[in-house]
Amino acid sequence: MRFAITMFSLLAVASVIGTVLKQNEPYNNYIIKFGQFWFDIFNQLGLYNVYQAFWFLLILIFLITSTSLCISRNTPKILKDYKNFQDRIREKSLLSFKHSYQFTTKKFNAKKIIEFLRSKNYKVKHKTSNEEGDLIVAKKGDLQKLGYIFTHLAIVVISIGGLLDGNLVFKVQELMGTKQIQLLDQELSKIPLAGRMSENNLSYRASILLSEGDTKTAAILRAKEGYLVQEIPFSITLKDFNIEHYSTGQPKSFKSDLLVRDKKTGESITKTISVNKPLTYKGVTIYQAAFEDGGSQLNFLVWDLNSSQPFFKMNSEVFKNNKLTFENKNLTLEFKDFRKFNILEIISDEEQKPKPTNVGPNFLYKVRNESGQAKEYQTYQFPMFVDGNYFFMSGTRDSPQEEFKYLKIPADNNLSLEGFMIFKSLLNNSQKVSNAISKGLNESAFATNEKKEAFQSGTQNIINSFITGGYNAVVETMNLNIPEQASSSDKEKAVETYINIIYLVGQQLVKSYKDDNQDKIIFPTDDSPRFIQDALTAYSDSFFYGVPLYLELKDYKHVQASGLQLTKSPGQIWVYLGSILLVMGIFCMIYIQEIRLWILVKKGSNSLIVSLATNRDRMDFDQYAIELKDNIKKMTNR
Amino acid sequence: MLGNIKDKFMNYSFGLALACLTIFAVFKFNNFMDNYEIIILIGSGITFTWMGNLWPNFKKLFIYTFLLSFISIYLYKGNLEQIELNFFLKYFLSSQSAIMWMTALYPLSLITYWVYLFSRQDFYGNLATKLTWIATMMGFVGLLVRWYESYLISIDVGHIPVSNLYEVFVLFCLITSLLYLHYEEKLEIKKMGAFVLIIITAAVAFILWYTFEKGANEIQPLVPALQSYWMKIHVPANFIGYGAFAMAAMISVAYLLKDKGIMGNYLPELNVLDEMTYKAISIGFIFFTIATILGAVWAAEAWGGYWSWDPKETWALIVWLNYAAWLHLRLIKGLRGTVLAWWSLVGLAVTTFAFLGVNLFLSGLHSYGEL
Repeated sequence: MRFAITMFSLLAVASVIGTVLKQNEPYNNYIIKFGQFWFDIFNQLGLYNVYQAFWFLLILIFLITSTSLCISRNTPKILKDYKNFQDRIREKSLLSFKHSYQFTTKKFNAKKIIEFLRSKNYKVKHKTSNEEGDLIVAKKGDLQKLGYIFTHLAIVVISIGGLLDGNLVFKVQELMGTKQIQLLDQELSKIPLAGRMSENNLSYRASILLSEGDTKTAAILRAKEGYLVQEIPFSITLKDFNIEHYSTGQPKSFKSDLLVRDKKTGESITKTISVNKPLTYKGVTIYQAAFEDGGSQLNFLVWDLNSSQPFFKMNSEVFKNNKLTFENKNLTLEFKDFRKFNILEIISDEEQKPKPTNVGPNFLYKVRNESGQAKEYQTYQFPMFVDGNYFFMSGTRDSPQEEFKYLKIPADNNLSLEGFMIFKSLLNNSQKVSNAISKGLNESAFATNEKKEAFQSGTQNIINSFITGGYNAVVETMNLNIPEQASSSDKEKAVETYINIIYLVGQQLVKSYKDDNQDKIIFPTDDSPRFIQDALTAYSDSFFYGVPLYLELKDYKHVQASGLQLTKSPGQIWVYLGSILLVMGIFCMIYIQEIRLWILVKKGSNSLIVSLATNRDRMDFDQYAIELKDNIKKMTNR
Repeated sequence: MLGNIKDKFMNYSFGLALACLTIFAVFKFNNFMDNYEIIILIGSGITFTWMGNLWPNFKKLFIYTFLLSFISIYLYKGNLEQIELNFFLKYFLSSQSAIMWMTALYPLSLITYWVYLFSRQDFYGNLATKLTWIATMMGFVGLLVRWYESYLISIDVGHIPVSNLYEVFVLFCLITSLLYLHYEEKLEIKKMGAFVLIIITAAVAFILWYTFEKGANEIQPLVPALQSYWMKIHVPANFIGYGAFAMAAMISVAYLLKDKGIMGNYLPELNVLDEMTYKAISIGFIFFTIATILGAVWAAEAWGGYWSWDPKETWALIVWLNYAAWLHLRLIKGLRGTVLAWWSLVGLAVTTFAFLGVNLFLSGLHSYGEL
């Protein structure tokens, strides 16, 4: 008893640990979180998969054993009690009950009283030959005692069901050394027998990832930091995968059209499964669990963000790597993901409140340099409405733990990238830049040519710094040129002036471009400084973008993959049966009140004793006892 | 005798009316329901008839809620824009307004209960009870109309409003107050309203914050995992459990105060409080057990396993173990008094964590309401 409660408390504590510490994450995440020292200790304790840990199973087994012992010890007593009427009771003990009443009777009609008690659902035994007199013994609510057996039995049944569905079989095989968790990524067919669980495995929850059109004949069982192959008695083909969306863009349903073929008989069935609507075949239930990209084909234009280099075309696929030489560097582009729908909270033009909006496709890729370092990128195909304007968004980060930092490239008049790309080419064209500076100077009010010349070369320096390193480079150059004792407000003023100068040059560049290409409307036609400012900011930010290589997604062919879960769960039926037993048991224990009643007419007297007993004294029982006694009194006095 | 006949007549006509409505709904809306949902609909019809006949005030609540919801739906004319155009919708009967009325009335009835507690004038006691009933009615009208509104947004968006944290908080207020009103009537413990309404008012405060700070009152379409008839059973059953546990904890507060001699003259006897705590916890325990089991059955259908040690599941187990221990101590060991009162308070903390904390601090399969 005490032992069982200790086990229950341990179970609760272990469960709490399992919820606080995120389970089954890649082991690297834990190392980063806890450091190597604690990682090893926690790993030894099995804290990364508490619910499969050896000691956790041990608690469960102890729980089953001790509860079973409890049942086997108490059941005979309860059953005996269940049958027993307690008809050997003495007058003295009857009178000692809390609810005991004594009164005289005029006419004692046992038959009538028994009838009355039966109508109140009592089981009645009449003992006329009692040594103390005429005794009626009645009882009801026996089921309450059975409630004890039901609930405890239920715990055992549910736990056994749970154990059946656990991975005990594998645990034993692992201990014996016949099975081993696989750590290397390789083709399923090459995995040795030690890494394969037979299709007769008692229970499992395995997963399969299928691209559209693919067929697979085995599933993957995730285990600790690795995996095992789970053989299945059939093959599965994903004919089609469909996502439906609500008008707001949120996903409404995920559906996989499957073809399942029995390996032995070759018999096959086709069925569409979706979330909440699984398929059960050969004792295995197949669920719609996840989806991801299945190798979509992507066609890009590749741009160089901070030189006047023209773009070139490139084709790739998700999960494919492209090698290319860019600015004399050998780079590998690793494409990781493509998502057709992306719901973001966007503040639209008219409304002030952010609303979930589908912003269209994005793709995820890594750029790895020769030394193996990689930066991750997430780029959206279409411009997004942010801060009152449309921008092409491309995020970058050094590791998955970080948030993406976004490069925001302003979209031009046609909502395309071309405007910005022309602008950065103009900036990189030294002839045009110096023309723009002269032109700007001519329009200004500098009197002498000397001053003009001095200013021209100063401006040229600022612009050159900007072109080679953005605003940061400008500030650095300024710090070199301005005397150290200059006050910070002077410095701020200088920065402001520099930014203004850079803007004016940018404006002049755009103006000349517009004059030269009057038939093309690319840059905004109004005089708002927004586009030029945003473009300059984007240009400046591109120096933090890693390799200044921008991928513009021109076209794609979407190929999806569906994640299925395969469950074999022989314990389920036991868990359900146990649950029914549990509810019945709790109901019996709480809502059925066991009552025992004795009526004794003493030999040779007209004195009558009515005594009631209940094992759970409740407030309303007082009332009940008095009412029942009054009824009996009435019957015996008529 | 005459009253008796009148009661019987009322009961029969109520049952008949509900039967007719149920049958009407089955035929009119069977395109929108699968077989399970039709069974649930008929089951609800029977349950409400049974409850209404057992508890006349519930019958009244049902009828008024029903009438008001119908008026509201009529005023919509199948168009959401009517919320702004129609005076009655805008200020009284649109889903959002009705729920706002609820959030105003519960704190009001809390105050009235406290006035009653210290003044001992029946007038205030009756007023407080009435206010609680009206608040509950407005809450139910709000939820029912919200159900209708969700279909007006789009046919495929429509769903029963128990799908996110905002909606279940409203449900929590309603179920807790209904449970309380039931015991208030049965055990004649009007004064407990002053305590039970505290937790309801706290929930109301959360709803208001959640509405104005986070805009959580907007109706969102259902994610695929929630598109199941199980939601209609699992969630309400769970909240009967949560509501009952919350009520038990508040009565335990009264018990502890009385035990320490604070406000002793104003509170019911200790054994009455003790008994009420027990009753609340046992009804909560039964429903919580059933809800958890049904949740497991649903999980087996949606997530591929009846038990995944998801944080919400695990915490449900902890809540269950906690109250199982409570009942065990009381029923088997015969323990009474302050220990159990403190325990039921701790139980509220554990329950609150399972209900709210898991959503706040832990992520998992049950992430339907985030803050």
